[in-house]
Amino acid sequence: MSAIKKIAGLIWALMGAGIIPLAIMQAMKEIAAKPSEENWIFWSIVIVVLTPIIAFSLITFGVFALKGEYDVIE
Amino acid sequence: MANHVTNVSQTEEVTSTRRVIAASSVGTLIEWYDFYIFGSLAKIISEQFFPKDNPTAALLATLATFAAGFVVRPFGALFFGRLGDLIGRKYTFLVTLIIMGGSTFAIGLVPGYKTIGFVAPAIVFILRLLQGLALGGEYGGAATYVAEHSPADKRGFWTSFIQTTATFGLFVSLGVILIVRQTLGVETFTDWGWRVPFLLSIFLVAISVYIRMKMSESPLFAKLKKEGKTSANPLAESFQKKDNLKMVLLALLGATAGQGVVWYTGQFYALSFLQNACNVEFVQSNYIISVALIIGTPFFVLFGALSDKIGRKYIMMTGMLVAVLAYRPIYTMMYNEADLKQKTEIAEQTKVDVKHELKGTDSLTTTVTTKAFSDGTTYKETVKATVPLDPAKKAELEAAGKLKPETKKETTLPQNVFYKMIGLVLIQVIFVTMVYGPIAAFLVEIFPTRIRYTSMSLPYHIGNGVFGGLVPLISTRLVEATRPGPDLPPSDPLAGLWYPILIAGVSFVIGTLYISNKTNNMDVE
Repeated sequence: MSAIKKIAGLIWALMGAGIIPLAIMQAMKEIAAKPSEENWIFWSIVIVVLTPIIAFSLITFGVFALKGEYDVIE
Repeated sequence: MANHVTNVSQTEEVTSTRRVIAASSVGTLIEWYDFYIFGSLAKIISEQFFPKDNPTAALLATLATFAAGFVVRPFGALFFGRLGDLIGRKYTFLVTLIIMGGSTFAIGLVPGYKTIGFVAPAIVFILRLLQGLALGGEYGGAATYVAEHSPADKRGFWTSFIQTTATFGLFVSLGVILIVRQTLGVETFTDWGWRVPFLLSIFLVAISVYIRMKMSESPLFAKLKKEGKTSANPLAESFQKKDNLKMVLLALLGATAGQGVVWYTGQFYALSFLQNACNVEFVQSNYIISVALIIGTPFFVLFGALSDKIGRKYIMMTGMLVAVLAYRPIYTMMYNEADLKQKTEIAEQTKVDVKHELKGTDSLTTTVTTKAFSDGTTYKETVKATVPLDPAKKAELEAAGKLKPETKKETTLPQNVFYKMIGLVLIQVIFVTMVYGPIAAFLVEIFPTRIRYTSMSLPYHIGNGVFGGLVPLISTRLVEATRPGPDLPPSDPLAGLWYPILIAGVSFVIGTLYISNKTNNMDVE
């Protein structure tokens, strides 16, 4: 079980790191295609609020899991 | 004699615990009521406070304000959580209640965009932020306060009453809106009647403040304070110490993020889907949600109590899993039940009424088409076309693409379909009760008393406020992305479900893998 937790930790960390360029590229693509006010509002919320939270929490959580911090949780 | 003394003492203890739960729950319920009337009246608020030129932009602006309310919740959690761990639970959640009530009352007084221009949405925005801050501080305080009064083997049961308040607050907000709307009539309600639910809040808050003033401090916190063991810096202790930070992250990713999206999908998205994708008439759609909520609410207590017996994790994870698996089938059924293309129209009952009138310098043509279907469904479509009498102005608006008529579609479902819809929403509410019923006890048990208010508030409000609160905005966007053209219907009206399915799915995997089920019945210190 500990091994699975650690391997999954790597996946979470990679997911967290991967979401940053993915969100930025998608935002640039959609805003360039239609630079409307609603597009700006939507992508601002996604890039400024949601992405940093997902990225930070998944990377940190993944690193902790990889280091075995969650091997024993009571 | 000894038995008698024990019985008296036990009776007193039960009475005191009930008083604690009642006083905490009533205040929290009022805070949720205050917070949700804004969301429930999003459409009217967008018309009152945001420029009308582009209805989608106006609605998005409101949703953004809505999200802003949610996004600031984590900051409220940090600010008031810290206060609660420094000075005590009682005074902190008394302050949050006053801020919430004051802001809600003030929203009811702000003049519309037509009267004071851009100052109106700016004031509403600030008041909404204050509401978010207050809510951020309220829940953690109430849950902690009740949990710190509860015996270890009944913590899930006692805290589940706090968990009912969010759903019950939504129910009360919908109920008050419906009653005021029915009493005043649709036109008056749209004009000024929508302010009444906001103004009412001040009376509810006054009662709750009075009740809370009479409460005493949490015994565990009072003991810590007496011993001088309270934290000097709850923020640093909560988030800079690895042992605590790892639990904050586990609580967020393995529990509250998934719980947040399930909560918002089962209640808010369900209502939005009924009204916008199924075009179910306003009052009927609100009845569907209200009835499902009232039937579903006792399940919070049931699952809270069950979590004392079999553990918090199993119930929460089962709730997330079944939600992930069942959302698409449930929403497909909801869509099909209201889909007019799948019904047989009674052509001879179709009526079209056209009315022309002059409104200032414009000509207004209102076309009302009513249709009846063999299963008892009725459909009403109102198209309002406003055209300037001045040909030059008309040509100018036409060129800018601003002469589009306003269309309102209302489907009234027959009784059997109405009950089916209640059943389908109720299933989603049950999912909500599974993930949400045990979560207060779960959060309380993984953090120590000295930093509990701060530590549990942040993951709760990021999970619910950010992940959950953004469900309407992101889901609307995902559906819009499937629209082949500006005036064409979306090709996949269920596309909005991918966001909650993805978040709840990830949360389920993390929670199943990393959360221990041993957290029930443990002593909190």
